[in-house]
Amino acid sequence: MGSFDLSEIFYNVDSGYLEGLIRGFKNGILRQEDYRHLTQCDTLEDLKLHLQGTDYGNFLANEPSPLTVSVIDDKLREKLVAEFEYIRNHSYKELGVFLDFIKYSYMIDNIILLITGTLHQRQLSELLTKCHPLGTFDQMETVTIATNTADLYNAILVDSPLAPFFKECISEEDLNEMNIEIIRNTLYKAYLEAFYDWCKEKGGATADVMCEILAFEADRRSIIITINSFGTELTKEDRAKLYPRRGKLYPDGLIELARADDYETVKRIAEYYADYRPLFDGTGNGPGDKTLEDKFFEHEVTLNVNSFMQQFQYGVFYSYVKLKEQECRNVIWIAECIAQRHRAKIESYIPIM
Amino acid sequence: MASSRSGKLLAVIGDEDTCTGFLLGGIGELNKHRHPNFMVVEKDTPTNEIEEQLKKFLNRQDIAIILISQSIADVVRHVIDAHVEPIPTILEIPSKDAPYDPSKDSILRRAKGMFSAEDFR
Amino acid sequence: MTSHERIDIFPSRMNLTIMKTRLKGAHKGHSLLKKKADALKIRFHSILKKIIEAKQEMGEVMKEASFSLAETKFSGGDFSPVVLQNVSKAQMKVRSKKENVAGVKLPVFEVYEDGTDSYELTGLARGGEQLNRLKKNYAKAVKLLVELASLQTAFVTLDEAIKITNRRVNAIEHVIIPRIERTISYIVTELDEGEREEFFRLKKIQQKKEVMRNKQDKIRRKWQEEQEKENLPVNQTPNLLADDEDEDLLF
Repeated sequence: MGSFDLSEIFYNVDSGYLEGLIRGFKNGILRQEDYRHLTQCDTLEDLKLHLQGTDYGNFLANEPSPLTVSVIDDKLREKLVAEFEYIRNHSYKELGVFLDFIKYSYMIDNIILLITGTLHQRQLSELLTKCHPLGTFDQMETVTIATNTADLYNAILVDSPLAPFFKECISEEDLNEMNIEIIRNTLYKAYLEAFYDWCKEKGGATADVMCEILAFEADRRSIIITINSFGTELTKEDRAKLYPRRGKLYPDGLIELARADDYETVKRIAEYYADYRPLFDGTGNGPGDKTLEDKFFEHEVTLNVNSFMQQFQYGVFYSYVKLKEQECRNVIWIAECIAQRHRAKIESYIPIM
Repeated sequence: MASSRSGKLLAVIGDEDTCTGFLLGGIGELNKHRHPNFMVVEKDTPTNEIEEQLKKFLNRQDIAIILISQSIADVVRHVIDAHVEPIPTILEIPSKDAPYDPSKDSILRRAKGMFSAEDFR
Repeated sequence: MTSHERIDIFPSRMNLTIMKTRLKGAHKGHSLLKKKADALKIRFHSILKKIIEAKQEMGEVMKEASFSLAETKFSGGDFSPVVLQNVSKAQMKVRSKKENVAGVKLPVFEVYEDGTDSYELTGLARGGEQLNRLKKNYAKAVKLLVELASLQTAFVTLDEAIKITNRRVNAIEHVIIPRIERTISYIVTELDEGEREEFFRLKKIQQKKEVMRNKQDKIRRKWQEEQEKENLPVNQTPNLLADDEDEDLLF
């Protein structure tokens, strides 16, 4: 246990400042009463006014009227990116690697976007603006120069940090033949497994917290992919290849999932697991009912909030980004409800406690 | 009739969300010149670009219906008013944050006088 | 009566018959066109009513559709760029048919599905359920909009057709029929005139013949008297072939 203690001793030397900072940021996350104010707004201008009273401050002050939801979306994202980049720039060694892992998930989305654009021979330069800023990497421009899939594949292998995942599971031919969503999910699976393994190896409190969260993420993906694949061209074999093999469902649950044909079967499988059983209870598609995905989001939020209960670990950084992301979605949801004058469902955001 | 020989397309001019929605509805197509049948209008897209794209859509033989967000239609109203042929037909649709205003609709304005404004409510 | 206000035609009895047929035709055409215009107008109004209903429904459907987009973004994140890039072949297309209303061909659009859904797996790992609802909502919107587009084209076409028909009705009523009528009255006048001339001429001939008959009577009586004096039979038939003294009648 010697190394374990040592890592805790040096944790504050390397990352203590940043952890303090992130806990400070976390205190700025919107609270229940903030949401109550926001949901009562009649116009987006009101919303802007209320947000000014929170940690967001004047982030919309320079925007010309009329305010649109997409502007709010951009600005919310900008703020998260600024915070994250600050932390990343001040991080040291291992924390840097950890933070890069967080960035990889956004990179996957960006790379997928670029591949889609290339396959359809669209102007790649205009796509760069559509990429998520957290998922940019230095050589992204070189990737966009590629005009065919072979060039693109090589460019990704040479220039992007995603090369290890790519080499592992996608071949050059796959780029042409595979459905883009399958590529995305294959990459994500490889990424999730690598991230999990890294955290496990890191050990200590980081492993405790992160493995829990990532295992949930893996299981959630497996379950949702299974449910969404019903009635599509995705075969059971292909589906099974997309399950990340790190969660609590691995290995028995995944084998069962691979055989599932309908929602009820999935539900029955999930009921063997104490963590997931309550998530399936009380879900429905009727008005006022929570969907399964909403339940998953709530559970994710709980896990991420819990991650702040432990000190000397990197999980807080991951959890902060995820919570903040959920918060952005909540605010956008409320903004959309206000803009579209569709208040009936305004309360169905995911509260962050 | 040449028109009945093969299927024709719908085209969309609208903001990103409107286009995304209709593409998911299954109307998107890239023709062999890689020209899409939709146009995403951002808040800083210049008017002449919208005008040109609309004229291009109007001249394409494979497009039967052009959907355009009313807020954008307002900007290029003169092009719409100048278009008198029945096909392709221009259809003004509400954008998500601006409810539909029938009094602006080029087609419905032709019917002005036949129906009073109350009929639209 | 100047010539350009009537049809330039020789005033004969045959032409009068032709003109009368044409007048009848024009009247018939007028009443038919009038009926057509009325039929179109009825159709036009019903279409207008339908357009207004459909536009209202469109408001509702579009609202629901764009709200489901917000719902999908809430659970699935921002997927717009990928959707916008991942375009290949249209799944929803329209066919146009022609519907015949009182001789006016109205284009009618009809949606049909062709090919596969290129976004079948979008949202596989997140938001797939909402995405399916979103697709359905937008597909519904597309169907409604296509219907509306049919109505709208019908509206424009009918508008044009009604204008043309009305123009024709008016032209027949105010230009063609009066012109034919004037032509007929011109022919009738001319023919009357000719008849009167003919009558007069016949009278004149009769007069002339009267004078000649008197003259002949006189000659015959004189000749009879001479015969009686010479005691010849009174009723001796003269030789028909020997009519040397028969004068030629020339008009």
